[in-house]
Amino acid sequence: MQTPPMARQADPPSGFLAAWLQTLNALLRDKGVVLLLVGAPVLYGFFYPWFYGQEVVQRVPVAVVAQDNSSLARQMARFADASPRIAVVLVTGDEAQARQALLRGDIYGYALLHRGLKRSVVRTEEVVIPVYAHGGYPLVSKQVQYGFAEAFGTVSAGVELRRLQAGGQSALQAEASRSPLNLQMEALFNPTEGYGSFVVAAVALLILQQTLLMGGALLVGTWREQGLAHAGTTTWTARLLALCVPGWVSGLYYFGWVFVWHGYPSGGNPLGALALLAVFVPAVAGCAALLGWWFAERERALQVVLFTSLPLAFLGGFSWPAEALPAPLEWLRWLSPSTAAIQASLRLNQVGAPLAAALPQLLTLACLALASWLAVLAVARR
Amino acid sequence: MASEAALASLRREWRLLRARPWDLAMVFWVPALAVLLMCWIFAAGLPQRLPVAVWDEDHTSLSRELTRMLDAAPGLSVAQPVLNGAEAQWALQSMAVYGVVHIPHSTTRDVKQGKAGQVTLLHNAQLATHSSLIQRDVRQVVATLSAGIEMRARARRGDPQQVLQVRMEPIKTNLIALFNISTNYEQFLAAALVPAILHILAMTAGAWSVGRELRDRSLGAWLRGGDWSQTLAALAGKLALPWLSMSAIGLAALLFLTLARGWHVAGSLAWVGVALAALVAVSLAAGALLAAATLSLRTALSGAGLLSAPAFAFSGVGFPLLAMSDSARGWAVSMPYTHYARLQIEQLQAGAPIAQSLPVVAGMTLATLILLALAAWGLRRALARPDKWGGR
Repeated sequence: MQTPPMARQADPPSGFLAAWLQTLNALLRDKGVVLLLVGAPVLYGFFYPWFYGQEVVQRVPVAVVAQDNSSLARQMARFADASPRIAVVLVTGDEAQARQALLRGDIYGYALLHRGLKRSVVRTEEVVIPVYAHGGYPLVSKQVQYGFAEAFGTVSAGVELRRLQAGGQSALQAEASRSPLNLQMEALFNPTEGYGSFVVAAVALLILQQTLLMGGALLVGTWREQGLAHAGTTTWTARLLALCVPGWVSGLYYFGWVFVWHGYPSGGNPLGALALLAVFVPAVAGCAALLGWWFAERERALQVVLFTSLPLAFLGGFSWPAEALPAPLEWLRWLSPSTAAIQASLRLNQVGAPLAAALPQLLTLACLALASWLAVLAVARR
Repeated sequence: MASEAALASLRREWRLLRARPWDLAMVFWVPALAVLLMCWIFAAGLPQRLPVAVWDEDHTSLSRELTRMLDAAPGLSVAQPVLNGAEAQWALQSMAVYGVVHIPHSTTRDVKQGKAGQVTLLHNAQLATHSSLIQRDVRQVVATLSAGIEMRARARRGDPQQVLQVRMEPIKTNLIALFNISTNYEQFLAAALVPAILHILAMTAGAWSVGRELRDRSLGAWLRGGDWSQTLAALAGKLALPWLSMSAIGLAALLFLTLARGWHVAGSLAWVGVALAALVAVSLAAGALLAAATLSLRTALSGAGLLSAPAFAFSGVGFPLLAMSDSARGWAVSMPYTHYARLQIEQLQAGAPIAQSLPVVAGMTLATLILLALAAWGLRRALARPDKWGGR
């Protein structure tokens, strides 16, 4: 294999444009940098959404334990199977059998229709159907619980309507007095409540940050190894701006293509999204240069940055509410540009908010960009 | 002798680590701090008091009662009221609140006339975790209020008190989350994320320690010729220290998350420990193979990132395997973390028999041996080609 191409080049040129072009050239000729700044964003744009293609969990396998062999129990099992959320794959009289299937992972929950169910209903006794769901898989368990609750709720409402009508109320009145206050849920911004829309929209910003961080730090670390890193303000401003170019291109690729292609909510405020890229990418490029400077070793950034994606994802305030973070972390998390970028991107791309709604985040990013660029220029002076 | 080669390699690695603070940090301090950070993120427990706003156009005692009840729910906190649609939209778009409860002006009149009153929760579904917590709490509050109204109405009509509850919902469902996770969901997440982050760090460490010998052209000094079994032994000796340190860190974290925080473990904690050590081993071996196969430290690290960094996201802990396409599920079940995560849930929460997850531990151990053997084979090949060393 070969040594990176920068080694063969002379002292950095002094002109701004020359330095900018030379850095772009260096980016493109370094296979490692190209792979991280171009290859990785393209690849992850396909790779991540691949797993969440279906978006919504449907027809979760469940069991009905029917200890009561009545027409009512059979009706309830039928209604359960008709629910799009769950699929009844096992009907048994033996609860132990259902438990074992659950532990084996064949089913994710079951409802227990106990003996004497119909008799209790006829006698207007209190009837409670326990629905057991595997708590280890929250998304699945939610479908099991709602699937059974809706199916049995329908059966229950039928029974109740008949009773009320028998008591002399009209069907309409009966319906209303059954539940005087109803709640309607309206899912905004992600109307299908899709999982991919929720995760990929936010993780995309993390992908943009981590690839630029590793690629940029790899390049600067290489310069440091080769003694090419020190340069004046003009040269370094040009270098940092050149580093931003692949970041902006990947950003446009995610906002303009990946989100649209996969049908994620997007395009709410295109100009705002451009403003976000205008401050986010320089902030990351500045941090990348600082990291590369500090490591002063080509491969070190890869080793150190890889694992940080996981904590940063949970500090980004989308999958885990920031309200639940310990106070010091609530502050520290803003040091990573990804935090503000995820929050701003959700507002501008997915929610379609006016720029003012994301202003605090954009200002944070601008401050990070300014601070990191000034730090780079300061340490890089000859 | 193979054992001598392993011991010599281990001693050499120890000397190298002591001389290179960054390398030492990446197998000891950084994993320890990363694991600590994961525990810290979830230390405060389930989110309480997520902000919602009430858009009250009804202005009656009923709507005020609903507002009070919403604010009293432990998971909710009622922020500044919004007065119109534009304010509601701004509050949601700026994410000052994650939901708006709209009480239209005819609500109380409808309820009094015996028609059903309708309250609407507008929630930010883009933040799925926030919105599902809010939906759960608002649903509960409205149902409680509704039941109260109905009881009062029936009491007025003169239905006998004792049959009220029963009459209202002849068949109720009682939702029981098995294995008691909903109460300590944050512990559950932290316990799943600790091994996930060690998985990334271990694969990175395997790629780094072998890849660095190639980059620094020190492969010959490390392996010193010898036969195939000695190469394998030297490889095992090299990976022994990171394996010990990361397994110990993982075990300590699991003990802290379970026993120290009073979490009753349904199955066998010891078995989880064995599986964790196997997961760290297979990750290290995979990293070593990436380096030995590509002969490039940089490429090996990129590969380790691609395989290990998204492992948690695709493990079925968040989004279930059953909802993935066949090809995506195929990828997910080829990853060791997917199987480990399942074993851990089975043991820590569900209390499944150990025999059921025997294939997981056996499989990870076997995979470790195969990956190590392949890596040793790659290193033998590289040993014969010094011209290939030093790749960046």
